[in-house]
Amino acid sequence: MALPMPPGLTHAEVAFLAEMEMVTIVPRQRLESIDLLSGQTPPLRPPHRAQLPLWLALLLKKQRRANIVPPPWLHPASLSEIIHRETKENPQTFSPPPPPPAHANPHDPGHARRLADADADTILSPPFQPSCTASAPAGYLPYHWLEVAEALLAHAGDDMAAPAGEVRSLLRDLVEVRAAKMRSSTSVLGGAENGLMELTGVGAIELAESRGFVLGVVDGVRKIGASAEAARREDEEQGSGIHDDGGSDDDMGI
Amino acid sequence: MDIDDILREVDPTFHAIPQEKRDLQDLTRAWVAERCAPELLQWPANDLFERVNENIKRQIEKVEEMTGDMDPKTNFVLIVLQTELERFKYLVRSYLRARIAKIDRHTLHYLSTDDLRSRLSEMELAYATRHQALLHNHYLASFLSSFPPALQNLNDTAGNVTMIDAPDLDSAVFVRLLRDTAVEARDVDVDSSTGGQENAIYILRWSDAKPLVDAGSAELV
Repeated sequence: MALPMPPGLTHAEVAFLAEMEMVTIVPRQRLESIDLLSGQTPPLRPPHRAQLPLWLALLLKKQRRANIVPPPWLHPASLSEIIHRETKENPQTFSPPPPPPAHANPHDPGHARRLADADADTILSPPFQPSCTASAPAGYLPYHWLEVAEALLAHAGDDMAAPAGEVRSLLRDLVEVRAAKMRSSTSVLGGAENGLMELTGVGAIELAESRGFVLGVVDGVRKIGASAEAARREDEEQGSGIHDDGGSDDDMGI
Repeated sequence: MDIDDILREVDPTFHAIPQEKRDLQDLTRAWVAERCAPELLQWPANDLFERVNENIKRQIEKVEEMTGDMDPKTNFVLIVLQTELERFKYLVRSYLRARIAKIDRHTLHYLSTDDLRSRLSEMELAYATRHQALLHNHYLASFLSSFPPALQNLNDTAGNVTMIDAPDLDSAVFVRLLRDTAVEARDVDVDSSTGGQENAIYILRWSDAKPLVDAGSAELV
């Protein structure tokens, strides 16, 4: 009954999450709105585009009821740009995640305003941000980029803007570039000057792949240094105590 | 429909997230967090699971009603409904199973203080108490009863060595910041504090990440 798995999402679970990403489709048949648990789907009227979760879009695609519009970042030009940025401009870090969706603000013309501001109590995060739809920005990889790209290539290869082979080979380059970064990022773990290791821009599947290794290294380093850390904390506590005494001396001098 | 509703429909800034989507986001976030965190997390307080379970039950009834008519058009709708239903049920089941796994591993720890007990739902608390009682009775019947009475407890803390196993709260986790916030991290050589940007992903100790996650400024990934 209990889940016999170690902490951290498995690949299958990440793929499950990625199937909740919203994508844009062009329906080929009419379909009335369906009352789903996650809200009503928009009524489908060809040739008007609609946004649906990936799992539903793939189902419609398999039954030839719709075509999927690939997200702009999956275009070869955008992929090459990202590869260029990852290899030449920023050979150390991952390229940044897409900026949060914004809208024009009618109360303050000329200024954009964050979508999430309307609703501060629930902040949407991937896979619920519209980062794989046709209106997503090009040149940014969303959190579930590899899973969505693979699913689209496997099931909707004919809807791609470019031959699927070209997209596939670009994706493979990107995977290799980023996997090398993930590996080298662990080399700073041991001698990091500040205790904070940042991996902004990393993808879900890349995290799942190296989670065991990276967290194992971090925990291992912590356990080896546990006594040194305890000693340092004790020193600091005493140090701050002495410092306080100095402060009170000054006060008395005044 | 009055004028306010019409205005709201055309207002580009009005993007309230519907309740259903909010629930799915909360459920997904709770599931991911429970799968990644080293210790049991707080049972969601806002009746999330009562609501989700109620919705699932209603949807099952609807599917049962619809299976009656054999019109090919409703047939496809039925497939979609059932697919989504299975996805929801998987999320709920996996979440509950991940929690039970943690409760099973450190039962006495989660029953030891009121603060920890309050993290469990009513059903989980009943399960944990009963399971622990059965286990202890079984141990007593099979071997503990032949020990001296002073050694028959399972939660002895004498001599600064506690028998109650607790999860390692300093294990490292991945977090993503949901809004700009200061991040404080302890490490072996030096402690650090950074102004973290929204969407940044960090590796932190769970004990450092927990305040951020509890405040809703970060989520586990």
